[in-house]
Amino acid sequence: MAMAALRREGRRFAAPLLSPYRPVINPAAASAAAPSFVRSSPEEELPLGVRSISTQVVRNRMKSVKNIQKITKAMKMVAASKLRKIQPRAENSRGLWQPFTALLGDMPSVDAKKNVIITVASDKGLCGGINSNVVKLARVLYQLSSGPEKVARYVVLGDKAKAQLARKSKDDIELSIAELQMVPLNYTQISVLADDILKNVEYDALRIVFNKFKSIVSSVPTMATILSPELVEKESESGGTLGELDSYEVEGGESKSEILQNLTEFQFSCVLFNAVLENACSEQGSRMSAMDSSSRNAGDMLQRLTLNYNKTRQAAITTDLIEIISGKSALEANW
Amino acid sequence: MASNAAVPFWRAAGMTYITYSNICANLVRNCLKEPYKTEVLGREKVHFSLSSWKEGKPLKPVVRSDTAKE
Repeated sequence: MAMAALRREGRRFAAPLLSPYRPVINPAAASAAAPSFVRSSPEEELPLGVRSISTQVVRNRMKSVKNIQKITKAMKMVAASKLRKIQPRAENSRGLWQPFTALLGDMPSVDAKKNVIITVASDKGLCGGINSNVVKLARVLYQLSSGPEKVARYVVLGDKAKAQLARKSKDDIELSIAELQMVPLNYTQISVLADDILKNVEYDALRIVFNKFKSIVSSVPTMATILSPELVEKESESGGTLGELDSYEVEGGESKSEILQNLTEFQFSCVLFNAVLENACSEQGSRMSAMDSSSRNAGDMLQRLTLNYNKTRQAAITTDLIEIISGKSALEANW
Repeated sequence: MASNAAVPFWRAAGMTYITYSNICANLVRNCLKEPYKTEVLGREKVHFSLSSWKEGKPLKPVVRSDTAKE
């Protein structure tokens, strides 16, 4: 009975006779001491004749890996349900800026003196590589748009991007925004944010960098460009898509620059709304796939650990059997 | 109505078109009847925390947390 208890503990102690250097440890103390006493290869520490093979270490690892697997599975389901809620909103919000692109065009190649790079990222982590992708694109844009007479500044949405950008480019950050997803995303919130940005930065071109949601496994880092009204007027004079702006009839008797100012502000607000929604979708999708691969890895690890555990346990049992049988055969002299 | 050089009153008061359209939207939302009104006013909640950076350091963040944009 006691032997079975000891064997369950994975330890096997010989009688005190054989181990003069070790204090007598009774089974109760052994089971109490076992969790805090970690021995990976016990053989070399004990005097000859005392064997104890510890499966405790492996068992602890198995328990923690199983817990991790449960947690990541739960996170994946939470992310899936959040994605289901936000995906139709993101797809519907694409209709907000499409008329603007039809009217004003999306011109990333227009040369602008003052560029403001608005980086949209997430506040929480464990969402795969999307935040690093956005920051990489933002950095490239910064390189492209700084040079003689050209200035580029960052406006950062989301703590993850803030941490990454602050490491190298903290002198170029103009504004940083956090806690965006405390209330469910809505247009009013984003438009207040857009308003704050417009009031605080001077710009010739606003470049919004975000992750466009294609599917759960693919989020593409994208850039949307909004030009300031002065730049739009300049471009429309030089022809191209914007040159046809003059052929539109303007109601209300306001001047063209007035209209352009209203339009570009509203365009910024709509594009930012869509960008934030798409980024939120990408965040949930990427978190889903990251947690999924994490649970799969944990499952693999658990399998390997189980095999290891069984091997160790069976080795201990076999050793016991061998000793019993050889002991018996030693006692029966004529075997 | 206004001469060519005059700007609308809200532009002269310092508002952007975004603020103007939000106020109009709020007025429209407040005109709804009861079951729809509460559901729709829930879509107006604003919450974020904004902090400007000066010379590489963030200043104290300003938390914009109105429940409805006025």
